Amino acid sequence: MNLVPEKVGAWLSDTGPEGDVVISTRVRFARNIEDVPFPGRMKFSEAELVLDTVHWALEESGYLKEGKFFEPGMLGQDDGLYFVERHLASPDFIASRSPRGLFVSTDERLSVMINEEDHLRFQALAAGLDFATAFKLAADLDERLETQLEYAFSEEFGFLTACPTNLGTGMRASVFLHLPALVLTREIEKVLRGAYAVGLLVRGIYGEGSETRGNLFQISNQRTLGQSEAEIIEVLTSVSRQIIDYERKAREYLMHNLRVEIEDKVFRSLGILRGARIISSDEATNLLATVRFGVILGIINELKMSEVSQLLVLIRPANLQVIIGEKLTPAERDERRATFIRQKLVR
Amino acid sequence: MKICDLCGKREASLSVRQLDKEGRATELAICAECAKKRGFTSVEDLKKNAAEILAELKAKVGEQDETRVCPRCRLSYADFKKSGRLGCAECYRTFAELLAPLVRRLHGSVQHVGKGRQRGRKRAQERLELARLRAELEQAIQDEDYERAALLRDRLKRAEGEGAS
Repeated sequence: MNLVPEKVGAWLSDTGPEGDVVISTRVRFARNIEDVPFPGRMKFSEAELVLDTVHWALEESGYLKEGKFFEPGMLGQDDGLYFVERHLASPDFIASRSPRGLFVSTDERLSVMINEEDHLRFQALAAGLDFATAFKLAADLDERLETQLEYAFSEEFGFLTACPTNLGTGMRASVFLHLPALVLTREIEKVLRGAYAVGLLVRGIYGEGSETRGNLFQISNQRTLGQSEAEIIEVLTSVSRQIIDYERKAREYLMHNLRVEIEDKVFRSLGILRGARIISSDEATNLLATVRFGVILGIINELKMSEVSQLLVLIRPANLQVIIGEKLTPAERDERRATFIRQKLVR
Repeated sequence: MKICDLCGKREASLSVRQLDKEGRATELAICAECAKKRGFTSVEDLKKNAAEILAELKAKVGEQDETRVCPRCRLSYADFKKSGRLGCAECYRTFAELLAPLVRRLHGSVQHVGKGRQRGRKRAQERLELARLRAELEQAIQDEDYERAALLRDRLKRAEGEGAS
């Protein structure tokens, strides 16, 4: 694999705007090619044709120079999961059996899935709350691909997608939020209900159906039709700003009223991470998230926030295996994970 | 007791208003038997009939909805209801009026207002068309359908010419 396993993309190694609350911003587009059945209904030969055509279109648009193209043979279960854990591909994509391809830019800010649920699913990631950057990256790719490809489109329904939930703009915009103070003060339910009430979707950070780990949440638009791309982003930005505000107020409250308890929680988490000999990825995720909280609050000074954020991805099963360069059993993984984290955190 | 205006024998149970060519109304009192003979029905009967007809129609249309099939990808509406996924762009035209209420429920709208589609030369798409024509030509030769093969060969030549210009 050509990606640098120990380094997670620019969207995690930088600390973007409002980085104390918003880890990253994502903009994803779903597109299909006119005249070819959607991936769920196409023949093997048509899937190959789409793969070849999009590959060529990417090459013509100059994108292939800026990253790497992975074909099905290179996307086995483990390598596939590696991309899922880095938020560059979806679990459905990895599970699919039709000819498919994945393009990932060197800095991991752009990725394109070919023949997932739609012929094309591409996304841009930016550090912090930064829709301007993420949208521009994704929209530029969209425009360059559109000089090559005839998208399935209707005046009424907009861009046509396999599932009617993606119709219209085909755009799903989201923010990844770290909300430990709102969870600790039990205000989180109220906030999430509020987001839901204005038509936004709230999920755990690893997508649909995944429970929330480490107080990490993903908020995205539910509707894709009847609102322009700019309107969707506007709503998400304003709701994000409100949540950021709430979270910071809750942090202030905690530091003012429960400082010792918070310090205790943070240092215990760091203590376990620095001392453990066996650790599961779920436990590590929760502890690392608490340590990240400690860094944000200034309780821990010797670690950088981006360093801890990156670890959240690197310790996941498939990433850990790629870093170590071996296929491991779950028990071996828990042991090697503990060692890896110690090496990173003990100064 | 009113006597039927038509038979002049039985007791009238219906009152029917008739309009002549000049638009003048005449009121007729008719008995049940004559009404049946002449094809007059009461409002109650009419209401009952309408409900039956509608239900029958609905069942028929519903059946048609389920078995309606997209001409391009052969997906039926029943397939869509099972999987929640449509098969191709043509499905949206085939099932347009069936999808509209669903789309409205999902998005609160059935009218796209975002970015439009760009027009222009699509070179990758041209390549895809050529590849498809070549595959079809190969298939036609394999099937020994030479008439079709000749047709495809001409189309391919034209397409290649356009691609090169």
